[in-house]
Amino acid sequence: MAVTHDVSPRLDDLVATAHRIREAIESVIEGKSDVIRLTLTVLLAEGHLLIEDVPGVGKTMLAKALARSIDCPVRRVQFTPDLLPSDITGVSAYNQQTREFEFKPGPVFANIVVGDEINRASPKTQSALLECMEEHQVTVDGTTYALDAPFMVIATQNPIEMEGTYPLPEAQRDRFTARIAMGYPEPAAELEMLDVHGATSPIDKLEPVATTAEVRALIEAVRAVYVSQPIKKYAIDLVTATRHSPDLRLGASPRSTLQLVRAARAHAALAGRDYVIPDDLQELCLPVLAHRLLPSVEAQGQRRLPEQVIADLVRRVPVPEAQAR
Amino acid sequence: MRLPVMSGVATGAVAIALHSLFQGGAWFWTSLGIILVVTGIGVLATRYTLPYWLVPPAQLTAVWIYLTAVFAGSQAWALVVPTKDSVLRLAELAADGFTDIQRFAVPVPSTSGITLLTCSGVGLVAICVDFLAVRLRRAALAGLPLLSLFVVPASFLDDPLGWWVVVLGALGFLGLLVADGRERVGHWGRTVLVRRAPSFVAPRPADDPSALRLSGKRVGFTAIALAILLPALLPTLEPDPLFGFGVGSGKGGGGSAISFPNPVANLRRELELPANSTVLTYLTSDNSPRYLRLYSLDVFDGEQWTMTKPVGRAEDRTSAGPLPSAPGQGPGVPTAQVTTRITVSEEVRDLSFLPLPYPPGTIRIDGDWRPDRETLMVFSHSDTAGGASYEVVSAEPRPTAAMLKAAGPAPEAVRERYLPLPDGLPSEIRRLAEEVTGEGTTPYEKAILLQEFFTTKGGFTYSLATQGHDGSALADFLLRSRSGYCEQFAASMAVLARVLGIPSRVAIGYTGGGSVSGRWNVRTHDSHAWPELYFEGAGWLRFEPTPSGPVGQASGSRPPYTYPEVLTDRGDEPSAAPSAGSTGADPSSGPSAARRNPALDRDFGGVPLAADEGVPTAAKAGIGAAFALLGLLIPALLGCVTRQRRRRVYARQAVPPLTPSVPEPAGVTAVRAEHGTAAAVSAAWADLDDALCDYGMAREPSESPRALARRLARQYGFDAEAAAAVTRIAAAVERLLFARTPGATGPMSEDVRRVRRALAATASRGRRIRAVLLPPSTLLRIRAAGARMLDGFDRLGNIRLRLPARRDA
Repeated sequence: MAVTHDVSPRLDDLVATAHRIREAIESVIEGKSDVIRLTLTVLLAEGHLLIEDVPGVGKTMLAKALARSIDCPVRRVQFTPDLLPSDITGVSAYNQQTREFEFKPGPVFANIVVGDEINRASPKTQSALLECMEEHQVTVDGTTYALDAPFMVIATQNPIEMEGTYPLPEAQRDRFTARIAMGYPEPAAELEMLDVHGATSPIDKLEPVATTAEVRALIEAVRAVYVSQPIKKYAIDLVTATRHSPDLRLGASPRSTLQLVRAARAHAALAGRDYVIPDDLQELCLPVLAHRLLPSVEAQGQRRLPEQVIADLVRRVPVPEAQAR
Repeated sequence: MRLPVMSGVATGAVAIALHSLFQGGAWFWTSLGIILVVTGIGVLATRYTLPYWLVPPAQLTAVWIYLTAVFAGSQAWALVVPTKDSVLRLAELAADGFTDIQRFAVPVPSTSGITLLTCSGVGLVAICVDFLAVRLRRAALAGLPLLSLFVVPASFLDDPLGWWVVVLGALGFLGLLVADGRERVGHWGRTVLVRRAPSFVAPRPADDPSALRLSGKRVGFTAIALAILLPALLPTLEPDPLFGFGVGSGKGGGGSAISFPNPVANLRRELELPANSTVLTYLTSDNSPRYLRLYSLDVFDGEQWTMTKPVGRAEDRTSAGPLPSAPGQGPGVPTAQVTTRITVSEEVRDLSFLPLPYPPGTIRIDGDWRPDRETLMVFSHSDTAGGASYEVVSAEPRPTAAMLKAAGPAPEAVRERYLPLPDGLPSEIRRLAEEVTGEGTTPYEKAILLQEFFTTKGGFTYSLATQGHDGSALADFLLRSRSGYCEQFAASMAVLARVLGIPSRVAIGYTGGGSVSGRWNVRTHDSHAWPELYFEGAGWLRFEPTPSGPVGQASGSRPPYTYPEVLTDRGDEPSAAPSAGSTGADPSSGPSAARRNPALDRDFGGVPLAADEGVPTAAKAGIGAAFALLGLLIPALLGCVTRQRRRRVYARQAVPPLTPSVPEPAGVTAVRAEHGTAAAVSAAWADLDDALCDYGMAREPSESPRALARRLARQYGFDAEAAAAVTRIAAAVERLLFARTPGATGPMSEDVRRVRRALAATASRGRRIRAVLLPPSTLLRIRAAGARMLDGFDRLGNIRLRLPARRDA
């Protein structure tokens, strides 16, 4: 069913569209509204999402549901150790009829790319994908091909079963706007899942509820969200705090500040606000920053995870309003 | 090197306090020179590390050479090397100086002798300070010689030293201590001190002892500021005068707003005796009472009578024979020789004027007492009258009425001094004077009529409770209330007399008191004021406008020459003997006289001393407590004021930014509305913030307005309305702070009130009371202001007066 909504960058439309997408995804994934909301945030912030959790909690399902609810090209790549970079970016093949090389686009030429178990691929392949993520373009045989907008990579990663895997290095994790963990569903949600998923897979019935143009308009609307000077300063304060924390060996990068503010814009827009408030940043700090940080040896000894450190920092850094007091 | 210099600076700063002892500044420059000499030797001694015991002799020698050069240069060899002649010359000058000091009252002229003595004194103090502070490294002890220098003017002068003198001296000493501390700390190495970093300075390197120095300076500056300001703020330390003298200076209690000539202010101190105590007793050769005068006030400035500073010449000393003759008293006037033996009570402290019958002729008393030639007040700079016994022989004028009627005009000098009146004297008063004395033709008759006006005809009543504190009090007393006590009567009559062209002045002292077993007994309640009028030939004559007897000044009496009968031309001296004090006159009553009815005392006590003495401890304690209470209430008041101001701001309806119908410059309305909204929202939020602080509800610094609103509603169980209100306020704040435009809001008073009420409902009663009386939010603000002040001190401390420290050490 073709979806024909008025494409306008107005905030009300954004909220409505986002709501439709959310409902569509929620019909597939039960009781994970926070995760879905964050996924949408990352989409609207033009970022990439890393979903990290144990197998079978619905990582791929989430990625697929998002991809499906938007009427746009979606490609899925199952990463394996023998996957080659050209399997992702595409290859130039010699066409004997035309007697010239022809570019066969890889799966990365889509609006939403789902990379399953990205840590199973060799570093070479991983970096091929990550390059596309950052630059939004692919260069094969000296020719550069631009990727379509919106372009979002949803990568999943399995934290256990580390054998034969190549965990993403810090520099590459930094490319992802946010990392989320699915978590186990609530018992009630799991029960409902059994009822609904028992017979058929609801994802098959999922119809797209938004077009690519609509999503592009949404992204435009998000870019227009106002970030006041104090909020920018607050974002910098938060990021700076990670760099000075004795519990962390590696703090967050300037890129993370940028992505944090971008995500905060999307977050505010999803809440129907055309300005960012400290709460947006506070809420996003954890998913946006945690995967970029390395705990210090002492923190590791005390089993303090970067997540805890970030929660502490958020509690300590004064909000702009308090600073004005 | 810094320490010897600072010793010199401290000595110089304290020596400035001497300035009020001298006329002219010659002494200062020579003293400065001597300080420079001593300091120079000190600096050299430090530079070349002389043994410490050698320094004072070296300095003494230098001082000697300096003095020789300055004072006996012509006798010295090559101007500086002392010779026998120069030594003799110095000794001679010193002897002269001692004589001069004996001879002159302060401020003394800068004669060579006095300057020499002063210089030597300052030089010795400088040497002592240098020795203690630099050689022995006991800078605090060096305060003692400085203090001795400081005490000299303080003890010789009646006027208090100026505050700036104290500040200057204290700063000098402080500088010495700071220098000493710095050198000490400099030897330690780095300091370990955690201090609050002021907002404007970058943290210093840890090995800089400036942090410690800064704390020291802060303490020092604060101490000086407190020492100067605190006494000024405390009501009980103010010199409140005994007499609210000057016309209509207020209630009997004496605590008037008018300032006083110093001797009058002294009088209260001098008479700080238990109520009804005896000031003095006396015997007279004719066994009749005498008014005893202490002070004579000759200047009227429109509000009060004050005294020209009396001048006591050494050659007039009481020990040197009879006093100068009474001014204006001609040889033709009959006089009565009276000898009065006066014993002043031991309890009278610091009384430096002698109570004497007028006019004193010969006084037999120990000590250095000198009369003022014009007024014949007798006073001393070195002795006090407390406990003194002395004998006065006086030649009292007994002028006849005819003589007084025929008195000629007063000499020009008397007229010049005793006739001036302020320009602003109300014309009604002048008219009144003319009206009252219309019948009189001579000054004497007018004077009698004037006295009659006050005592009988004018309808004046005697009352200790009078109103009026200002310049119009004179007019009030004369034209309207006609109720007062001796001060008002005496002052008014003197003023009216001047209006009529009769030279007049006001005397302060005691009435004759009461007789107990043949001795006349003067008590504190007999303190009195009366006018003296000048008649050429007879001199100054006492008049008595204050009603006497049970409804007036108890022991007051009218002199014989003032009875109106003289006007009916009896021609000779009236025989009416001055009546003694009506209450205490019975010799047989003995001790009972000493226990006068306190109620009567209140009525009879001529001066407010009675009231003044009954009040002190309780009243002062009360006033102190009231002030302490007021001080405690200051935060509450400040809090109230702040809240009211905010409430006014946020109660204002913020105008929604409508499009103006008239082509007004675009955006003006909107901008104005935004301003209003911003102010209102900020005020409401600040008010809410204070409420939280006052009720002890903590606020995390990382809590955003929205989060705070959510938490409050949840944690304190707000009802739906209050929760909505706090959310609305938070949303408005959020928009104000973070959105592009703050947007329009309605008046927020209702919301703030609702949230405040909801918060108060959860706080304990104690908290609520404290929030009103001692609001913690206001205390925090006061503390912040204090911190800013400390920052100011730090800035002060950062002003570097010295050159950059050398690194060669």
